[in-house]
Amino acid sequence: MGIIEGLISGFLQAISLSVFPYLLVGATFGLIIGVIPGLSGHFAMAMLIPFLYTMEPAAGIAFLLGAHSTVAQGGGLTAIFFSTPGTGQNAATLLDGPPMRMKGQGALAAGAALTSCFLGATFGAVALALLLPILQKVVLFFGPSEIFVLAFLALTFVAVLGKEDITRSMIAALLGLLLAMVGVDNVTNQERFTFGLLELRDGLGLVPVILGLFAVAEMFDLWVSGRSLTGSQSKPLSARETQRQVFQGVMEAFRHWWLIVRCSAIGTAMGLIPGLGSAPAAFIAYGHAKQSSKSKDTFGKGNIEGVIGSEAANDAVEGGALASTVAFGVPGSSSMAILLGALFVLGLETGPSLLTYHVDVVFVMIFTIIIGNLIGMLGGMFLVNPLSRATGVRSSVLVPVLIVVVFTGAFAVQSAWFDMFIALLFGIIGYLMKVLDYSRAAMLIGFVLGFAVEKNLYLATQLDGPYFIFRPIPLTLAIITIVFLAYNIWGIVKHRREADDHVG
Amino acid sequence: MKRTRTADEYVSRAQWMASVMWVLVAAAVVGCQPAQDEGPPKEGVAAFYDGRIIRWIIPYSPGGGYDEYGRMIAPYLEKYTGARVDIFNLPGAGGMRGVNELFHSPNDGLTIGMINGSALVTNEIAGMRGADYKIAEFEYLGRVVADARVFVIALASGYDSFEEIWKLGQAVKIGATGLGGSTYVDAVIANEALEMDLDIIHGFDSSSVIRQAMLRGNIVGTWGSWGSALDAVDQGRDKIVLQSGKLRGPGLSDVPTAFEMAEKLDNPERAIAILMAWDSLHAVGRPVAAPPGTDAVKVQFLSTALDNALNDPELLETAKKFGRPIDHVSAAEMRQIVNDAMVLPDDIRELFVRAIRGEL
Repeated sequence: MGIIEGLISGFLQAISLSVFPYLLVGATFGLIIGVIPGLSGHFAMAMLIPFLYTMEPAAGIAFLLGAHSTVAQGGGLTAIFFSTPGTGQNAATLLDGPPMRMKGQGALAAGAALTSCFLGATFGAVALALLLPILQKVVLFFGPSEIFVLAFLALTFVAVLGKEDITRSMIAALLGLLLAMVGVDNVTNQERFTFGLLELRDGLGLVPVILGLFAVAEMFDLWVSGRSLTGSQSKPLSARETQRQVFQGVMEAFRHWWLIVRCSAIGTAMGLIPGLGSAPAAFIAYGHAKQSSKSKDTFGKGNIEGVIGSEAANDAVEGGALASTVAFGVPGSSSMAILLGALFVLGLETGPSLLTYHVDVVFVMIFTIIIGNLIGMLGGMFLVNPLSRATGVRSSVLVPVLIVVVFTGAFAVQSAWFDMFIALLFGIIGYLMKVLDYSRAAMLIGFVLGFAVEKNLYLATQLDGPYFIFRPIPLTLAIITIVFLAYNIWGIVKHRREADDHVG
Repeated sequence: MKRTRTADEYVSRAQWMASVMWVLVAAAVVGCQPAQDEGPPKEGVAAFYDGRIIRWIIPYSPGGGYDEYGRMIAPYLEKYTGARVDIFNLPGAGGMRGVNELFHSPNDGLTIGMINGSALVTNEIAGMRGADYKIAEFEYLGRVVADARVFVIALASGYDSFEEIWKLGQAVKIGATGLGGSTYVDAVIANEALEMDLDIIHGFDSSSVIRQAMLRGNIVGTWGSWGSALDAVDQGRDKIVLQSGKLRGPGLSDVPTAFEMAEKLDNPERAIAILMAWDSLHAVGRPVAAPPGTDAVKVQFLSTALDNALNDPELLETAKKFGRPIDHVSAAEMRQIVNDAMVLPDDIRELFVRAIRGEL
């Protein structure tokens, strides 16, 4: 089957009556799962698997991938309205989403976030489609040496995120790297920083850590300050104002199309790299948005570009993450591993045979991502008003309710009581960091990328020898990293000198 | 304006609540009726299970191989027990968390679990910290499958057979996951038994990352379960060149066994002894068990139900269609297999312990 034929067939299948209803149900389900903190795309897909045994392949894919693709949209809404990341990939949205809500622009942020997700996902899906002919080469491009240098490059974005206070940011990022070491080391089989606890053998879970650092910490803050989520605004937005802001947000997203393209490209590229995941992609896109913005100073204080950049990237990841799954049947993330298992259940083989004989199925996936996100965007708009109203509830009522939801989410990932403790512990750490002005984003980047940097460094030295860095591709990437870092350090030094001059 | 409720409203509220309660009670009574019409009332242990909930612990995440087996079999277990079977994923510590939980669960016959047999036997033998269970004390209900272990190489590596690599005289790189993990232990044991010196590169995150390294040509091959190797073999990327079992498995009739290779050694005795132990460990496979001390009548009932479920033609058809082989053995046979696996000759036990601890 040719690619054009596959494209047409895939599109017709995706909108056919035997597939579209499943897509609609799946996408709506994913949106709701996303809104609930702690429940992720991984969870949404796992819950749907039992239904697949009796389904047609196209319907099954639409059902599953539809649910997976809208999770980030739902999670973005929770991040904006409740300062709680609905899923891990929405953590970056917290930097500018909640401050916008405080300024009475919650619905504006939500409209922009939903639209950016849709546009980002579309970008990722289209990129996947365009890469199809050379997909296998692209996927094989990334070995341990390349991933090590790329993860290191991503790590240097801490310098952008924490420009204002580089010392504190470095402390936070290094602490994050340290946290990544917790657990049994794959290479030496030694337990590190587990304090003899069996529960820590597998390391700290990403979801409980994120929920703790951001959601639980926020609850503490609300509780201590006694204010409501609407901040200085005494009342939540009226329905009419909400509606107006949502549409304005949609327009804002389209107006920043060039930012969306760039951040989506970052997301897609990071999705291609196995094992990095979408949380760092969103942070790096945020860093890029900040760096390239004309009004850098308003980032973190409610700049819509921060919301647009991170939300575009976290959904664009999907297109990239699908690549290695489709090309070789090698899943790049836990969600993709579930999808792979599901394809197996549906009787489909991935890899070259999928690309050669069932390219229409690949296009069903691509159109599912696009249409699913469109459904998510429209469905999400209906959620904006009720969620926005709930923010007006006073914190003595809202905090207990959210605490229950957040801790249930932390528990649900692995049915582990211990994870609730982790969420609490990181809630305290997160609150202290917030009060003392340390960057939680920098810590999370260190934590997430720590694994990738350490493991791939070891494998790179084993496979390519100690001088792997001098091979052409890693060397090129390393030079980019150094230039990038030097540019940022120079910027910081210059900034400081100017500040000194002003004082002097 | 804030509206206050009148006393009348409270009364009507209470009445409304009461009527709701009555409706619920009535519905419950009516709801129970059809169950009695289904046939003669069940007696004894069948009556105990009828309508109850069985918690089935799967010690790995949703979407993995264990989970797929569990979800595939659960409806048939429901059919033959009359109970509802809920899958309960408890991943962590390489399968040990779920198994620890199973071991300490109430032995009321309502909790069962599928366990990663071979790895848990070796963990217990090696005295791994966190192995908070006694594999011999479980009440076994039967075995779902025992995956053959196979050595796969990438066709792109240019090699075509195991003997070619074996006789090469130089070490080629093969991949493994964590030190002491199953792919690593397999590689070490095969090296030891067949007097090879393959360069084992461990530290890969998962078997899929190993596959990718094979595709890139970073490594030549890897050890793994037959089921996980199938995909890449069907796609013509990899080739299975050696299998662990004593006899060539069904579907693997053209792949030599490690035993056949051992015969070619100058003194095959030690190699055969190691391979025998290896084989008896793999035979444990994926059993289903109940906590120690579960009532014998309930164990009997459950193992019969599992027996029936795993021989249900409809299930076998599904299993075949989705490439999830079923290799069922009964509860009695399973007990024997576990006992065999637990008693290893001292020197071989030592070898396995060192392999698991990553000391080789």
